[in-house]
Amino acid sequence: MSDATATEPTGGHTKDLSRARDMILCEDVSKWYGDFQALDKVSATIKEQEVVVVLGPSGGGKSTWIRCINRLEIHQEGRIIVDDVELTNDLRNIEQVRSEVGMVFQQFNLFPHLKVIDNVSLAPIWVRKKPRAEAEEQAMALLERVGIPEQAHKYPGQLSGGQQQRVAIARALAMEPKIMLFDEVTSALDPEMVKEVLDIMKALALSGMTMMVVTHEMGFAKEVADRIMFMEEGQIVEVGTPTHFFENPTEDRTKLFLSQIL
Amino acid sequence: MAGFGIGSEIASVAATATVPITAPPETPKLPPREWVKANLFSSPFNSVLTVVSTAILLTLSWNLLKFIFNPIRQWNASATNLRLLMTRAYPEEQYLRIWVCVAIILTLAGSSMAVWRTGSAMPVTGLGRKLLATGALLVLLALLAPFSAGATVQWLLAALVVAAVGEALRRTGGRGETERTVSTLTLQVVALAGLVASLWVIPFGHHSYIPKRIPQVMHEPGTVALSTKLPWTIMLVVVVAAYFGGVLLRDRLAENALRVTLVVLWLLAPPVLVYLILRDPDFDMGHVIGTDIPIFLAYAVLGSTLLLWLTRPSTGEIGRIVAALVLLAGFATFLSPMRMVLRLDLLLLATFALAAPTFAGGLRARKRYTGAWLVLLGVMSWLITSINTASTVRVPGGFFIGGLAITLMVAIFTIVLSVPLGIALALARTSSMPIFRLLATWFIEFVRGVPLITILIFFSIMLPLFLPRGMHLGEVAAVIIGFVLFSAAYMAENIRGGLQSVTRGQHEAAEAVGMTTAQKTVFIVLPQALRVAIPPLVGHCIGVFKETSLLAIIGVFDLLYMARYVVPGQTEFMGSARESILFVIPIYWIVCSRMSKASQRIEQRTGLGER
Amino acid sequence: MTAPTTQQRVSHRVPLWRDVIVIKWVTQVFLLVVVLSAMLFLASQAGDNLRARNINTEFDFLHEPVMIQISEGIDTHPDTGARALWSAMVNTLRISGAGIIFATLLGVVVGLARLSDNWLVRRIASMWVEGFRNIPLLVQMIFFFSALTALPRVGLGSGPVNGWLHISNKGISMPRVFIADGFYQWAVVVLIGAVAAHYVRRHRQRIQDETGASTSPILWALATVALFGLVGLFVHPVFSWLGPVFGSIADLFDSLPNTAPQVLFSAVAIGVATIWIRRFLSAHRSARGHLSLSDDDWFRMIFVALASLAVVLLVVRWSGLSAWALNSSRDLSEVLETKFEVDGAARPFDAMRPDIIQKSRFPNYGKNGLTMSIGFASVFFAVVFYTSAFIGENVRGGILAVPKGQTEAAKAVGLKRGQVLRHVVLPQAIRVIMPPTGNQYLNLLKNTSLAIAVGYSDMVQVGTTVFNQTGMTLPVVAIWMLFYLSCSLTISVFVNWFNVRMRLVER
Repeated sequence: MSDATATEPTGGHTKDLSRARDMILCEDVSKWYGDFQALDKVSATIKEQEVVVVLGPSGGGKSTWIRCINRLEIHQEGRIIVDDVELTNDLRNIEQVRSEVGMVFQQFNLFPHLKVIDNVSLAPIWVRKKPRAEAEEQAMALLERVGIPEQAHKYPGQLSGGQQQRVAIARALAMEPKIMLFDEVTSALDPEMVKEVLDIMKALALSGMTMMVVTHEMGFAKEVADRIMFMEEGQIVEVGTPTHFFENPTEDRTKLFLSQIL
Repeated sequence: MAGFGIGSEIASVAATATVPITAPPETPKLPPREWVKANLFSSPFNSVLTVVSTAILLTLSWNLLKFIFNPIRQWNASATNLRLLMTRAYPEEQYLRIWVCVAIILTLAGSSMAVWRTGSAMPVTGLGRKLLATGALLVLLALLAPFSAGATVQWLLAALVVAAVGEALRRTGGRGETERTVSTLTLQVVALAGLVASLWVIPFGHHSYIPKRIPQVMHEPGTVALSTKLPWTIMLVVVVAAYFGGVLLRDRLAENALRVTLVVLWLLAPPVLVYLILRDPDFDMGHVIGTDIPIFLAYAVLGSTLLLWLTRPSTGEIGRIVAALVLLAGFATFLSPMRMVLRLDLLLLATFALAAPTFAGGLRARKRYTGAWLVLLGVMSWLITSINTASTVRVPGGFFIGGLAITLMVAIFTIVLSVPLGIALALARTSSMPIFRLLATWFIEFVRGVPLITILIFFSIMLPLFLPRGMHLGEVAAVIIGFVLFSAAYMAENIRGGLQSVTRGQHEAAEAVGMTTAQKTVFIVLPQALRVAIPPLVGHCIGVFKETSLLAIIGVFDLLYMARYVVPGQTEFMGSARESILFVIPIYWIVCSRMSKASQRIEQRTGLGER
Repeated sequence: MTAPTTQQRVSHRVPLWRDVIVIKWVTQVFLLVVVLSAMLFLASQAGDNLRARNINTEFDFLHEPVMIQISEGIDTHPDTGARALWSAMVNTLRISGAGIIFATLLGVVVGLARLSDNWLVRRIASMWVEGFRNIPLLVQMIFFFSALTALPRVGLGSGPVNGWLHISNKGISMPRVFIADGFYQWAVVVLIGAVAAHYVRRHRQRIQDETGASTSPILWALATVALFGLVGLFVHPVFSWLGPVFGSIADLFDSLPNTAPQVLFSAVAIGVATIWIRRFLSAHRSARGHLSLSDDDWFRMIFVALASLAVVLLVVRWSGLSAWALNSSRDLSEVLETKFEVDGAARPFDAMRPDIIQKSRFPNYGKNGLTMSIGFASVFFAVVFYTSAFIGENVRGGILAVPKGQTEAAKAVGLKRGQVLRHVVLPQAIRVIMPPTGNQYLNLLKNTSLAIAVGYSDMVQVGTTVFNQTGMTLPVVAIWMLFYLSCSLTISVFVNWFNVRMRLVER
């Protein structure tokens, strides 16, 4: 197994991350469901402003890993440190990490009983304790940024899948997170809606957001990723720049995976 | 639509495509003979079914009508005792209080109808058809029932008038574009006005109508109609006025705020009506000023200060620790003797303190939260004081009111009080904390496994044994506690169904934006769960209303008890048990079937609103 | 791996008041303590109050004579409290059983009628549902009671078939078939027949599977049982040797020391807990032998261990329980001994015609006939009609839940209407119908407790009489709760078993 932290992000990308500080640090993270091991000593470091795409076959532990990073799942061994805060049983740390890490889900998970604008402004009001007017103003600004200000007063059920996913991104951004996690966000979308979501993610990456993206969109990975990690059976098998990863992967398992999907 | 050219056809296709729910295609109206053939005699089997079921139906109705309209029935037993059946021995000179309560409820009902825009348009032809069918039924009834010749002619005439009106409406109602409609609310008002008008004309329950009996049981001369015709007329005016008042307010004010206000008023109505108006508590002003108000003020000042501090976002974890300490102090008060109100107020404060970080925020949010605490503290203090104050309404027996009034009172209190308990139990049963889950599951399964009557007997007989000496609880209060525990267990299961319908993703999304468990529950999970649970909850409310009849078994003077034991026990009407039971059946049936119709409507509405 | 700079700045120690695990368990234990202390407080209050009023709460009244008349059932003049409650229990079970059977039949009829093509049938069924569902059961019960008391007085000429069937304001009386002394021996024959029938059915089924010919295995099995029953009427005395066998079993129970059941119960409790914990651990051990348990997993194991220890403690401390178990096993064996040691010529069944006796001014039915009292009839009609309305709605909902395509597909392959219903619609509908209907069975059982209002001697009515006489409210309430809880549990176990079976059929 190659050491994830050792690989320097280089290549044709404009960012120089060599002196950026560590944003996410995972050290020998393991997790079991009953007698099934979902994560097997996962170690990785993600720098500030870095965009990491996690690839791999289904059931390989990708989703479990990024869900551990904002503690939707609890890792059982190893350490996870997010922005200098270690994820332990400490209530304050959990709350701090949750409000610093935004997450977008495959199934959107918008709150169906709230209007779009309330979906976006709810957390800032009650978690960040912002005044309602300010929170709604910010929500409108974010909806404009994702391109759907005119849908603000509709219910999520009245929107198309792509629009819902854009609202979900706006909802996550409303908490002003330092890190964004994307868990197969385009998998539940009709093909014609995938692009509108990916465009927003690209823009977000260009604006300097630290991002971890689990996806099957190879085009997106090639174009946007600073680094690509390949996970299988709960382990990080290979790490590298897109050029390295797609053009001459070293591991056999990676080659097999690439030959199946490309 | 046809005949407007291709363009409009495309337009109409597009319109139907965007609106997936279209009215079902209208079944073509068959001429009577063909309708009968299609619906009653379509096959040999069907014909046999029709003949057999007609025979059974006719025999059953014949016997039932013979039972109901038997000449030996003394309907005056119910008519004369209406007051007893409605309120038991509530004193005559205080009866104004009852009318005030009815007026308040009608005012709330009228304005709520306006604000929630109930009522729908009904085509006049449909109304006509219904009246026609009613007329036909009345004809059948008049022919089957064992009436005297004169009565049969009267009933037949009435039936013909109804049928004729129906037929006239059906013909003049128009069809298609010219169809005229009438609001169901108007119809209801017309029907009520007819009933009220009948009070002015027909002397219901007049003594001279009791043949060969001396009216000695009744305390006052006259008829039921005499003493209620004026109040009921005023009530009719009140409800109509309240409706139009509601319409006015609806158009002037923000609808949401109006609805919230009305819901709060509805929640406040039961205690205010029962403990302030009906019961007329005999407040001891010296005690109120010397003890109750100082306690309230002390808690108001201290609690508000504490809550204002706790809801500051910068307070942090120290706030949680302080809140936990307040809760501990609340339980610790049970170790030393003191006034119950001190303990209860402290526990309420602890609840608010624990929830404070959830609702923390800007100055406005903090003020609103503290305001909620003050209002709830005030209501609780007033309720505790008035429950502990004797009533000035002196009646024989244990409780100051009975009959239909206590049936409704127990039903409403049970429903209102068991909602929070049911929600708490459902949350505990679905919680991630195993001890909570175990306790809630055991409680719910235990209560659901035993009959209500055993719980009621237990609470009415045994509760005094479990209380500290010197503490008394009226039988009605004990029974309500039993009802609430029972109802909450069933309600919890309905709500749990709703909670389970909230997907895992909703929980995760709420957690991912940093909400605490309490915030997630209050803002995300419960609103969705309760919406799903509304239809079964309304069904449960119908069940609670029906179950209040069990009060009769344990000797509370409810409607059924009055009908089963009190009225037939009067020397005048000895053995009139059948009349009384026949009289209460329609009362229960109307209330329950109205509620079940309402629940079906809600189900349809939420079904349509499902996104 | 080089240690990153961030690592040093992270503290490992979590303050107790911020540790989610600590908060979680402290909250729970706190609530548990509050609940337990509240219960303890109430119990001690009740103890004080009972002592102050000189009421003892022993179960002695079960063995003491009571003055109770029970309206009907196995023993109308019981001599002890236990006998009275036993008789009442049989009454409750009898009316619930009959109610469940008839409510199901009527409910299916109502449900199908609501979906009928016939307008009149549909209207009658919906009137039935709307009517019975929206009137309180107790009101219906009292209505039936008052209507039935309007029937003519009892008398020799009161029946439609004099001497065979009587209908009057004392109830309905008809000929009674009852079990006689030889019944138990005959029952053993039938039991053997049932075992034989099982093998016959399997055999016929195998032939059918192999040859494809229709062999009607169920019919064959039923015929086998019937054959055994018929033959048993004549040969049943061959089983009289079972009497001495049960006698020696009774002696065996008599000779066992009181510690025997204690050891047995304790061993079972500890054994079950051990097996459960071992299975639990192996289910959480990964292939590489790694074991990771969450706090909830620990709680579960500790809870099971504590529960088994509590059972052991209960068994050891409360020796009365094991004595009771021993005694009742011995009593049961002795009863069986007497049941089997009867004269060889005793018939298994007997029958009698109803009789009318004139003890006082008012004639009444005697003991010979099978009498359905007015009380029984009012409870029965009320619970059956009321429950049938609910079951009818379940049936209707279940049938409507079967997709229309299923019916169309079945018709397309040429099945007839009845066949479509029997082979396609009903098997699918029953899976939707059964769970809510099981709940209705539970409700029916609990609703029979309203019989107290019309004087039918069920569990609640007799219990109320008992505690009014003896003052033993708490024990009687405890017996009620135990009885109804175990009945509810039995019904729900049965319904669950049925549901699981249905789900297996699906595969």
